[in-house]
Amino acid sequence: MIHDKKAHKYGMVIDLDKCTGCGTCAVSCMSENNVPFKEDESDKKDSITWMRVYRLTNNKPFPDTEVAFLPRPCQHCGGKGDHGHSPCVSVCPATATDYGYDTGIVSQIYTRCFGCRYCMAACPYHARYFNWWDPVWPEGMEKYLSPNVSPRMRGVVEKCSFCYHRYQLAREKAYASGSDEIPEADYQTACTTACPAGAIVFGDLNNPSHKVHQIVKPDPHPDPLNPDVVGKSRNPKVFRLLERLGTNPKVYYMSEREWVRKLGDHYLDGEWDKVKNVYGSASHE
Amino acid sequence: MDAALIPEGAKRCSFPKFMLGIAIVGAVLLWGVYAMLLCWFKGLNQTNMNDYYGFALWIWADLAVIAVGGGAFFTGLLKYIFKIDELKNIINFAVIIGFICYSSALLILAIDIGQPLRGWFIFWHANVHSMLTEVAFCLSCYFAVLTIEFIPNILENRQLNKVPFFHHLAHNMHGVMAIFAATGAFLSFFHQGSLGGVAGVMYGRPFAFREGLLIWPWSFFLFTWSAAAFGPCFTLLVTRVTEAVTGKKLVKDNVVHLLAKISGWMIFTYMIAKIIDTLYWAKITAPGLGFELSHFYTSNGFYGYWILVLEVIVCGVIPGLLLITKTTRENPTFRLIAIVLAVIGVCINRWVMVLQIMAVPVMPFDTWALYIPSWQEVATTILPVAYGIILIAVAYRYLPVFPQELELNRRPEARES
Amino acid sequence: MKVDRRSFLGLGIGAVAGIAISPVGAKLTDDFSIWTQNWPWTPVPPDGEVSYDRTVCHLCPGACGISVRKIDGRPVKIEGLDPYPVNNGGVCLHGIAGLQYLYDPSRVKSPMKKVNNRFVPISWDDAFTMVAARLGELRNDQNPETLACISGSDQGSVPGLFKHFMAAFGSPNYLTMPDLESWLIRTAKTLHGDAYTLGFDIDHSDFILSFGAGLIDGWGSPVACIQAMGTRRQRESTLVQIEPRLSNTAASADRWIPINPGTEADLAMGMCAVLLKENLFDPGFAQGFSGGFMRFTAMVQKEYPLDKVAGITGISASDIQKTAVAFAKAKMPVALPGKGRGEGAQNLKEFAAIHTLNCLSGNVNKQGGTFVKPLPKYLNFPDPVQDTVALKGAGSAPLAGSVQELVTRIDKSGESPVKALLVYNANPCFALNDPSRIRAAFEKIPFKVCVTSFMDETAMASDVILPVSTFMERMEDVPSKAGLAATVVGLSKPMVKPVFNTRSPGDVVIGIARALGGDMAKSFAWNSYDACLEQVTARIWGPLVRKGHVVLSKNLPAGSVKTDFGFLAENPETVKPAGALEFTLIPIDNFRVPPTVPAPSPFAIKIVSDRILKGTDMFVEINPQSAKNLKDGGFATLTTPAGSVPVRVHFNDGIMPGVIGMVKGLGHTLDNRYVSGKGVNVNTLISPKIEPDSGMDAAFCIKAGISKA
Repeated sequence: MIHDKKAHKYGMVIDLDKCTGCGTCAVSCMSENNVPFKEDESDKKDSITWMRVYRLTNNKPFPDTEVAFLPRPCQHCGGKGDHGHSPCVSVCPATATDYGYDTGIVSQIYTRCFGCRYCMAACPYHARYFNWWDPVWPEGMEKYLSPNVSPRMRGVVEKCSFCYHRYQLAREKAYASGSDEIPEADYQTACTTACPAGAIVFGDLNNPSHKVHQIVKPDPHPDPLNPDVVGKSRNPKVFRLLERLGTNPKVYYMSEREWVRKLGDHYLDGEWDKVKNVYGSASHE
Repeated sequence: MDAALIPEGAKRCSFPKFMLGIAIVGAVLLWGVYAMLLCWFKGLNQTNMNDYYGFALWIWADLAVIAVGGGAFFTGLLKYIFKIDELKNIINFAVIIGFICYSSALLILAIDIGQPLRGWFIFWHANVHSMLTEVAFCLSCYFAVLTIEFIPNILENRQLNKVPFFHHLAHNMHGVMAIFAATGAFLSFFHQGSLGGVAGVMYGRPFAFREGLLIWPWSFFLFTWSAAAFGPCFTLLVTRVTEAVTGKKLVKDNVVHLLAKISGWMIFTYMIAKIIDTLYWAKITAPGLGFELSHFYTSNGFYGYWILVLEVIVCGVIPGLLLITKTTRENPTFRLIAIVLAVIGVCINRWVMVLQIMAVPVMPFDTWALYIPSWQEVATTILPVAYGIILIAVAYRYLPVFPQELELNRRPEARES
Repeated sequence: MKVDRRSFLGLGIGAVAGIAISPVGAKLTDDFSIWTQNWPWTPVPPDGEVSYDRTVCHLCPGACGISVRKIDGRPVKIEGLDPYPVNNGGVCLHGIAGLQYLYDPSRVKSPMKKVNNRFVPISWDDAFTMVAARLGELRNDQNPETLACISGSDQGSVPGLFKHFMAAFGSPNYLTMPDLESWLIRTAKTLHGDAYTLGFDIDHSDFILSFGAGLIDGWGSPVACIQAMGTRRQRESTLVQIEPRLSNTAASADRWIPINPGTEADLAMGMCAVLLKENLFDPGFAQGFSGGFMRFTAMVQKEYPLDKVAGITGISASDIQKTAVAFAKAKMPVALPGKGRGEGAQNLKEFAAIHTLNCLSGNVNKQGGTFVKPLPKYLNFPDPVQDTVALKGAGSAPLAGSVQELVTRIDKSGESPVKALLVYNANPCFALNDPSRIRAAFEKIPFKVCVTSFMDETAMASDVILPVSTFMERMEDVPSKAGLAATVVGLSKPMVKPVFNTRSPGDVVIGIARALGGDMAKSFAWNSYDACLEQVTARIWGPLVRKGHVVLSKNLPAGSVKTDFGFLAENPETVKPAGALEFTLIPIDNFRVPPTVPAPSPFAIKIVSDRILKGTDMFVEINPQSAKNLKDGGFATLTTPAGSVPVRVHFNDGIMPGVIGMVKGLGHTLDNRYVSGKGVNVNTLISPKIEPDSGMDAAFCIKAGISKA
């Protein structure tokens, strides 16, 4: 648990009612982070997409079918009890992925990773991707690569970094202006700024003046029903993916639609009706 | 031709016949080496692994060979610490099998990682929270121990033993072997366990996740226990196969019965623990996370309840019962059935704890992921088998592996092999 | 010292042991790992000074403002420009992937001519000389009208230059591809007269009745539409989506009404009948009604009674009634025509009938309604210098009203009436129905010149390719269109020097004209396209350069418009899908797959669902209720009167039973392995069907059969 008041806890909330499934977030991410592409990317189990958009359906027959889209970046899990032992960080044998206690961001050090892929096995969100191939760009196309993010070599794992390089730039800018506060607008991820529907809101979950905090209203106390869960939203429309596992993601989702919210986690028969109206305790406010 | 190297008094097949056999297995070995080189030089795109199957056939093979290689540490423990002296007649062979298994495991790991040249970062930048770090340290140390345990046997080769230094070295090493056996058992306890921990700590994967004691999930203890239980079965199985191939009896029945009995009781008790663990996981752990048991065994084209029944009952409880019952244990056919089932059982357990974990969808909107290994993966997995056969053949031919061999084969009509 | 076996062995062992304990091993191990961290074949992007530049994207009719991040002048990222009157910071995936188009493997790197069916590079001078020689012959033969030109769009100074060229040359045969804007202009012309277009104020409307318009699937100005949809719920604006398939737009709508494919026009007519019958039309606006209103009223009441329309469309009579009434009673209703992206094969009857709903609602030229806007007139080209040949040719009757009609003419004539063809920014050999028929017609045209950035299907069917710079490499005015309420002209500027030996399309036109010499050259007296642009946009040039864009009309179009119902009063026939097979095949517009020019980028193809494309296999959607013995994911053969292709089946509960959907824009055969050879071009399965009144291809869908492969 982070007691340092100055520690940030960057996170996002994605409005699934606004998301159009257009895929702009995914492409913006690829362009920002020098993600390579291959001749055939139709095997989605072997296609590096830090931000992947899933299609959800309510599984009802025509004409009651409904569809929603769920963009899935790395969830930047805080781990059980939000102590920083994310499922992936705790298993990496070479400390090549680490939890930033000052930002809440799960980092990946490509030059240290030796490609054991244990982190991928541990991640239930499939947010981690392995470089099965050398990254190769068509002749000349490497000229568009950005120097802010180093292209990854074959044989290492990569994933969404919440555009950490943008955080570094914003922090430098803040230092240069003599402030230790990073303005909300100065640090935004590439997917957030690109989303044409305005479905993604990014910011510091610890900062009450940030929009993401205001929407999510995270409960800083452990969930009385499951002490591993910290930071449950007090907004009845907001949920997290697989929250019950205790991974404590910093990516929240929002929907008016009950069937969408229910698809965020697993429930035994009859369980959903009992828990669907249980939100983070208001008394902790 | 190589008569001078063959243990005194032992009958061995002719050198050309031996070399022919080696050449055939060697061809398979070369096929595996070719696949290995492809993986190293072209990368892991040579496999059919993907981002859902980061752990696949190799990791299963790795876990399986370490499990069945557990016969080495457990037999060593029984022989040197618990002083069950009969086991000296099989300990050499147990050590060789262990050596093969562990060297294979290390080789597979070296192929499996995406950046083999950086593999040593696991030691240099070690993360003490990772089960894999524990595996790496214990595995390497235990491999060193196995090497030390193997050396005296090598030095007993007829020619080497003529060198006084080697002769005395081998003798003295035997004397201190109890220390290494203890070290080996200790290390094995941890790396067998931490291999179980690898799966058990993945709390993002409800199929794998187990609650446990302090930092160790129950699968930690179950893996150690199962390796100790099933490892000796593999030692017995390989012994039986060697006997069949050489056409000689190599180990006396009382030794085999004793080891089978110990293994049987270990299996039996392990299965009780395993069943309790499975029930607790199925009834408490997984439902607590919102998962019905059926989630893990239905809605896909391969993994059904059959695999659970096969692992726990057919290849677990049944061989356990066969081995603890005196009549079936001492009946060669039943015993063989039991040890074959047991070896299959532990391999299925490791399969489930590696591959089924990867196959089960976790996000509610995700789907089952099945995969078929590429030929490169199959070849590199067979590579250790070929290597093992060659090493056993060479060791059997030139080293006094089975102390009872001469005694059991004094009859002049003993067939050559 | 004598080296015997023993000492040799000892030395060897000693050496090995020495090396093993020396630091050499550790050093090598370390060096190896450092080497893997710096593999020379993994690129290291050079660092440098960061700068931002602004321009306008013209990959699609959206005309979004974009911001380009550069490192030492090297563009590395495209983002939305904020503020910008079209997209206010928003951007789409294709715009972001604009950088990939710069270095696209299918870029044409220099002028090319076809020799023995292969393209060989030539110089620009040779290219101009050659083209001028061939075109000059037509003028020498007094047949300038046998030159035709196909352009992707009709607006802006570059299409203006092509038109200028055609006028000076002496041919009336300037045709554009059927984009949404062309349909809107045609609709406005039918109901309100010449030189109007339609805009829709979806940002303010409180009731959007969309007849399949893919508001979040790429319709109109895609980013602007998605943004409007993003705030729709907050504004308590209702969206009713009518289409046969649960598109993403339908999924996000308040209500999805499935409709039998191709019957939207009948539904709109039926709704008009409801409004007229229930007296729910705006009497004030009706004062501007002229020609044929009474006839129209009588006709729809008679020909489109509720029950009949319900039978045709498959929507219950009460639903039609309720929806029509809700539309009429809304404060600011707007009805949107244009299925999917609104381009390609649509039909005038449908556009006109849907726009008639707008007219009846009276919410025209009012906030939250439909704007009948005069076409932007910011360009002032000098009159072309036309000699007698040109005057005669330009005065002749146009060969056709659409590219498909032109193709039909060529198809039916023994010798092509078109002797030379210029194609600019269009890919008819891929993007129109039955491309093989179009390629066959191309074969008959003796000389084809393709002005393009990419070696696409049409370029490959040409004789000469004149490569143009992409939007990132050139200056151009970019007028907004595609149903936007406001009219904005943006200035796109070169962000980077041309990567290859390409020129601005304006310079290409000027180059050809000058090579033709004589009066042609006189009409193109500019030194360069940039000079031409400055001159023809003189009225707005200052602010255009200063601000990067000019808003021509933001406010409501002034004054009233006359509305003529003559066309619909005749009750033109609805174009029905061809064939008699059991299913109806509809093309699906998917946001991630651009169907026209340019082809998808590698990034776009990368994120296409594996239920659309798997390897090179094309999926079609079918409702499991009508799937019979087909299996989800299984292989099947899809047959239409136009052809038969192998496909794979994707069960989608969100498509009407009896309908098969196939994503449009795949199945390219161009020279780009990341994009090419993947899937099937749905256009190959649909034969064109010309709507008599518009001369346009109206074959949106076609009857189809599917069987297990």
